[in-house]
Amino acid sequence: MINTILKYGLISVVLILLQILVLNNIQFSGYVNPYVYIMIILILPSLTPSWLILLIAFFTGLVIDLFFGSPGMHASATLIAGFARPFVLRIIAPRDGYDPGSSLSMASYGFRWFVIYATTIVLIHHTSLFFIEVFRFTDFFRTILRIILSSIFTLAFILLIEYYRKGR
Amino acid sequence: MRNLLNFLLKYNNIIVFLILEGIAFYWLTNGNTYHNSKMVKTMQGITRRMEGRITNAKNYLSLREVNLQLAEENSALRNRLEQFNHADAPGFDSVNDTTAGRQYIFTAARVTNNSVNKQKNYFTISKGSLQGVEPDMAVTDGNNAVGMVVACSRNFSVAISLLNLDFRLSARLKSSGHFGSLTWDGRSPRYAILNEIPQHISVSEGDTIETTAFSAVFPEGIGIGRVSGIKKSGSDFYRITVELFADFRQLQYVTVIGNLKREEQLELESQYQ
Repeated sequence: MINTILKYGLISVVLILLQILVLNNIQFSGYVNPYVYIMIILILPSLTPSWLILLIAFFTGLVIDLFFGSPGMHASATLIAGFARPFVLRIIAPRDGYDPGSSLSMASYGFRWFVIYATTIVLIHHTSLFFIEVFRFTDFFRTILRIILSSIFTLAFILLIEYYRKGR
Repeated sequence: MRNLLNFLLKYNNIIVFLILEGIAFYWLTNGNTYHNSKMVKTMQGITRRMEGRITNAKNYLSLREVNLQLAEENSALRNRLEQFNHADAPGFDSVNDTTAGRQYIFTAARVTNNSVNKQKNYFTISKGSLQGVEPDMAVTDGNNAVGMVVACSRNFSVAISLLNLDFRLSARLKSSGHFGSLTWDGRSPRYAILNEIPQHISVSEGDTIETTAFSAVFPEGIGIGRVSGIKKSGSDFYRITVELFADFRQLQYVTVIGNLKREEQLELESQYQ
């Protein structure tokens, strides 16, 4: 138990540092802003109670907001992703259901499952985030383009990290 | 009572979600109006020290470019000085009053936090009210307009960047003097849009756009950018795309410009408007 908490705490810190120190400084046109920290919500064990996921989502968003100076944006978007997670998991559940002990990783459930799962959550998160950021529906398609491009890059980073975790 | 408890247990996720989302949205709406960037400043106070260190490291890596820029500015100022030396010196000059005849004061500051990839960008500079910086002072990167101070703490100030959907700047064509209003459309950090230039005026690509002194913030004639695209919109005005001179992606040292006569001008104008 303690081991699991320590492990996820360490992963969370690494992801947040990666976001703040490296990814926030990628300024490759205004269209591509990868937000890899959402992976913290992605890989929590399937047994985690929903209220705990929501709390973790809120505080992750809070920390990112403090460093971005963007009050509430990431907190509310990450919360929406955290709230959607149980529903997404139920819809795409594998035939044998979820193994309570294992984490939600590519190693446990396969490449195809993980890509579908990650894509759904990342799209939910990015859609809420970018619309909350502009807070208007003019330039609708430009916001959609930003969402799609950023999601592609976020997914690429997440898959890279996931392959690294799988390899170990 | 039991029913209530059952209800709470059954829907606890949704309730927790709504409460936390409520907090987040309260924070969001409170912190995002124009003048409430003070709040951003308070929250950033926690992370400021760390950002200062990161900026230090970054600055060290690009000393060469900064040096070059300073050298160019030095030579320009030397040229300027030379002109003054050759002009006829006036006979008597009092040296006691350092602000006699002056309208603008300048001070240099370092950029400690900056962003270009949001829709509403702000940046933080390393001088505050203790160093005499006040809200509504202009900020340039040495030669070109980049923003305006909106809030100051004792040692830091937050400035609204030109790359912010809420920022408007009075700008004019250097060649003809016709003025319009400059805004950013949120697309690329290299381009801004100049509106309200009527279509009977001749504009060509490459024309310089500079500031006016109308708002009593910027001094007259500070560079902004050059015309890179001209479109006739449906109304009688052009929609001019301006390629910005300032490179917001590597903003490191800025000059803050205060207008000593701003209050006098605004007070007089307010009697007639």
